[in-house]
Amino acid sequence: MNERIGREVRDLMLTSDFFLPAPFCLLALLLPPLPLGAPMSTAESVKQAYNLALHMQTQTSTLLQTYVSDGPAAFGSPHSHLSLSLVQLQHQSTPFSDPDFSLPELKLRTLPPTAMHFENWHGLEDAVRLSLTHEAFLSFSQHLLLAIVDQSNLNPDNSMVENQLWEERLKAKGLAGNLAGIMTALGLPTPPANPPLGTVPLGNTAFQKKCRGYVIVRDYGLWTDRVVTFLGELKDKYSQ
Amino acid sequence: MALFAVLQTTFLLTLLPLRTYQSEVLSEPLPLTPESLKVSINSTKQCLHLQWTVHNLDYHQELKMVFQIQISRFKASNVIWMGNYSTTVKRNQVLHWSWESELPLECAIHFVRMRTMVDDARIPAPRFWSNWSSWEKADAQNSLGDHPLYVFPKDKLVEEGSDVTICYISRNHQDNISCYLEDELTYGKQLDQNVWAFKLKNVSFHRKTGTNFYCKGQGVPEGVVLFVSKVLEEPKDFSCETRDLKTVTCTWDPGSDTGLIQLPSYTLFESFSGKKTLCKHRNRCDWQVTQDSQEVYNFTLVAENYFRKRSVSILFNLIHGVHPLAPYNLFPKSVSATNATMSWKVSSIGHNSALLCQLQLLGEGKVIQQHNISVRVNGEYLLSELKPDTEYVARVHCAYADHFWKWSELISQNFTTAEAAPSEAPDVWRDVTFVSGHPTVTLFWKPLSKVHTNGKILFYNVVVENLDEPSSLEVLSVPAPANSTKVTLNRSSYQIYVTAHNSVGPSPASAVAISGHPENENVEEGRVNGTEDGFHMSWKPQSRNATGYVVEWCDDPQNLPCVLQWKNLGPTNTGTVISSDAFRPGVRYDFRIYEISAKGMAHLLEKKAGYLKELAPSYNPEVATINLTSHSFTLSWKDYSTESQTGFIQGYYVYLKSKTGEKCHREFEKTVLPDNSVGCKYTIDNPDQKTFVVKDLQPESVYEFFVTPYTSAGEGPLDDFTKVTTPDDYSHILTHIILPMIFCVLVVTITCYLKSQWLKDKCYPDIPDPYKSSVLSLIKFKENPHITIMNVNDCVPDAIEVVNKPEGSKIQFIGTRKSPTETKGTKPVYLDLLPTEKNYSGPGPCICFENFTYNQAASDLGYCGHFPVTPQAPHCQLGPLTSPENLLKTLEQNYMNSLGEIPAGEANLNYVSQLASPMSGDKESPPANPPEPALCSEYKMQMAIPLGLASPAPSKNSSLSSTALLDPSEHCH
Repeated sequence: MNERIGREVRDLMLTSDFFLPAPFCLLALLLPPLPLGAPMSTAESVKQAYNLALHMQTQTSTLLQTYVSDGPAAFGSPHSHLSLSLVQLQHQSTPFSDPDFSLPELKLRTLPPTAMHFENWHGLEDAVRLSLTHEAFLSFSQHLLLAIVDQSNLNPDNSMVENQLWEERLKAKGLAGNLAGIMTALGLPTPPANPPLGTVPLGNTAFQKKCRGYVIVRDYGLWTDRVVTFLGELKDKYSQ
Repeated sequence: MALFAVLQTTFLLTLLPLRTYQSEVLSEPLPLTPESLKVSINSTKQCLHLQWTVHNLDYHQELKMVFQIQISRFKASNVIWMGNYSTTVKRNQVLHWSWESELPLECAIHFVRMRTMVDDARIPAPRFWSNWSSWEKADAQNSLGDHPLYVFPKDKLVEEGSDVTICYISRNHQDNISCYLEDELTYGKQLDQNVWAFKLKNVSFHRKTGTNFYCKGQGVPEGVVLFVSKVLEEPKDFSCETRDLKTVTCTWDPGSDTGLIQLPSYTLFESFSGKKTLCKHRNRCDWQVTQDSQEVYNFTLVAENYFRKRSVSILFNLIHGVHPLAPYNLFPKSVSATNATMSWKVSSIGHNSALLCQLQLLGEGKVIQQHNISVRVNGEYLLSELKPDTEYVARVHCAYADHFWKWSELISQNFTTAEAAPSEAPDVWRDVTFVSGHPTVTLFWKPLSKVHTNGKILFYNVVVENLDEPSSLEVLSVPAPANSTKVTLNRSSYQIYVTAHNSVGPSPASAVAISGHPENENVEEGRVNGTEDGFHMSWKPQSRNATGYVVEWCDDPQNLPCVLQWKNLGPTNTGTVISSDAFRPGVRYDFRIYEISAKGMAHLLEKKAGYLKELAPSYNPEVATINLTSHSFTLSWKDYSTESQTGFIQGYYVYLKSKTGEKCHREFEKTVLPDNSVGCKYTIDNPDQKTFVVKDLQPESVYEFFVTPYTSAGEGPLDDFTKVTTPDDYSHILTHIILPMIFCVLVVTITCYLKSQWLKDKCYPDIPDPYKSSVLSLIKFKENPHITIMNVNDCVPDAIEVVNKPEGSKIQFIGTRKSPTETKGTKPVYLDLLPTEKNYSGPGPCICFENFTYNQAASDLGYCGHFPVTPQAPHCQLGPLTSPENLLKTLEQNYMNSLGEIPAGEANLNYVSQLASPMSGDKESPPANPPEPALCSEYKMQMAIPLGLASPAPSKNSSLSSTALLDPSEHCH
């Protein structure tokens, strides 16, 4: 399993369920806005990042639905607005699969904070928000990897949850790269490299691991919503 | 007393080393106490682990001792368990003992103490317990964090059906906490102020990923996952075998999955060698045979998981459990039409041991040959008695020859034997028809069966031998798969040979003899009844030298051309059953029975017709009503064929109904029709009678009739009745007399009307009035006012000759208008008023009439010359005759030309009626006044015109007037 964890994104794309046309589009979105020939403009970088964030937003509800339920993902259920984390919850059994399951008070301190009020968030400068968002999705890429490890131990026979988590992790890393490209295009300081994750709580028991996966997927969805709004603003701003 | 005992014990212990040294048998107990008791917690196994020592033992001493242990929960006085633990203790030995707690240890503080007693046979009774050790506390709660809620045990592994106790610790006493097993609320028991326990009985397996138990209050829910394992089953059908005497493979059925992520382990032990191996699969294990020539093995398979250990054993003899590998490379080494040599290889076993191989030959899915062959490396066998051009399957499997236990897997190979010449002559029959006296023979043959073709039939050879001319042979080659051919012959005797050919050669020949003369068709014709088996028919042999009989028929006689079918029968047969899948009920089959003479000639013996099953007629005849009178009428259905019906027509039913509902006529019987109406029925029992006279009817009455045939199966369908109304008694007079008369009168009337003009011309033609002629005015105004109309009475004819002219000539004359050049040669029709001199050629006035009624010559001049009247002339010379002068010139010219041409005998009296119809085809008639010509007549030149009268006509009117002389249309004025 550790060997699997150690795989890079390139390996993931070969082994996971990337057999639909969408992943090919996704691949284009994930390409970092690094200059191959001519440098990409800020507007193009923002647009590319925005498109990827939009795609992620549509997938997060599916993931959460799959996560909490007892069986294969059931679309159209009350969790459909939180797709990604649901992928995990679908396979964690009750109480996670209960229709009204919600744990707003459950937090994971290592995750990027989600409690900031929207007005405060909106009042921050673009550079700050870009930096925070970039940092957040780098963190999510690591937490999603942790969730993958947990699920491989809890559900070794269920590759569905793992595959979706792998896919979301790839997107999170891709979006972080896109955000870094925007920051570079804007002349902002280059974001730091991937910081170490450290010890993540809620890993002592199987039940806690289920909770941890839920919180990771849930907060990932919240941050995805946030980044879509933010990048939408940037897109409007730089496309004028 | 107690004090004494203690002192005694102390004394004995003091002496113990010495006594042990002197004797191994002790007679008194030793006062030993457990020391250094330590208690630890194993959360994973939920065990309290105790560790202690016993001091005061001699260096080499071993004593069997009993330790009594007490465990308390929450407080020392609350003892929840007490038990003994016996073991042999050495000097300075650290003793260990574990106790598994039902309640998760994290939920309660536990206290442990123990005491000991020597329980060694060498120490004589009485024995005494030592003092209790001090209570040792085991507190797992110290390691917990500051969460408000904890649930234990963590990730516990339990077996299905067992009981589990789960507890939670709540730091918030005010919190109302509810706990759920999956989604079911669970009620527990409060153990302490902040500890609750839930005893789950007989837990069941939910899923591989565990069963959630969680508690939630106001804060974040907390829970645990119970991993429930199904009970490990004992392996079933444990058996071992070897395929090569080098490896033993044992297999078993592990039963249902335990449902845990952690799979049970399977280990194979061999007791004789003491070896074991961990199996890599849950249902199979390989054991390597060593070179120590061990033949018998005692295998024990042990299945083990966290909870259980299951084992099964088997005694395995290596030689008796040989299951050879499947042979390979099986192929037909050589294949002929009837033989095939099969070759294959086997995997060697042990030190080149022999294998018993079984070679099976399958044809059409069935084993038809089976041979056992001993093989070491290569196997080979000759299969014989095979059929040519036949597909076979050869398959082989092998077993250990020294001790048969099990066949190897089968391998198979298909092969097809080579072709051979067809082994049987085709079954040939013929149909002879005579075209212009020459026999045309259609030869039919049946395809040879697969057994006899011995290959693919490529063509059929037909050899026609004229027996009257032995030297002449005609050979036809008919490509397969044709099954017939046509040959036209002369009126000679022939012998025809038919052979079937495949790639190897021909079959034996079938011979058919043809006489060349028409057969005698006048033979007995009978009927044959069909049964479920077919048609049972018999015949009377005519000749004693018959070599056989042939029955021929058409399978589907309703569809032409007929697909001829036949059946050959031996000379001793005088009957047979003809059956065919093509036979259908309600279809007439005609059978012809032939007798085959010694020369191979076929003679028609009998004809038979029959139905497999007769059906009621499917349709009724179309009946015509004839000879209808007031008292009878005749029904006729002569077009109805009795041959092509669904059964033998036995007769007809004639149903009759009258409106008045009278009694049935004589010979009719009253019957209830299928539609429940009542009618009269007459039965005609002669199928050839196709007319019927219904008599004794009432005049002016309505009758309804209906005719239907009947067979042995019933009558035809009920159709609509046809109505007939009988006339009254006088109607025949009307029909036979009055109507023809009316018709005749009508015809005469129409004819008269259509020919009225002709009749008028014939019977009372109009007499022209010369005084009213327009010519008269022309003459008056132009030249000679003295010219008057000649009075006939003043004219005394000298002679008159009337010559009859055939009518056709006149018709031709009137109806034809030809150019002058064309009319030159024609003989004019004219009236001669002959003067005394026959040949008059001088100038002078001449009167000429084209009127059959009369003709008049000018008398005032005393003569009237022949004036040929050419009807065409006025028209043909219309152009030049625009003046009277021209007209007269033309007339003169015509006259002069005609004199010499017309014989006197042909002169006749011509009269053209003024009412004669003009020629409709006259293209030169003026387009103006088109209806007028219809009233115009062909009256021409009925007045005398002096020759000198001619003068030019400068005006248009004059021209018209001149033309009017010649154009009948001018008479309309």
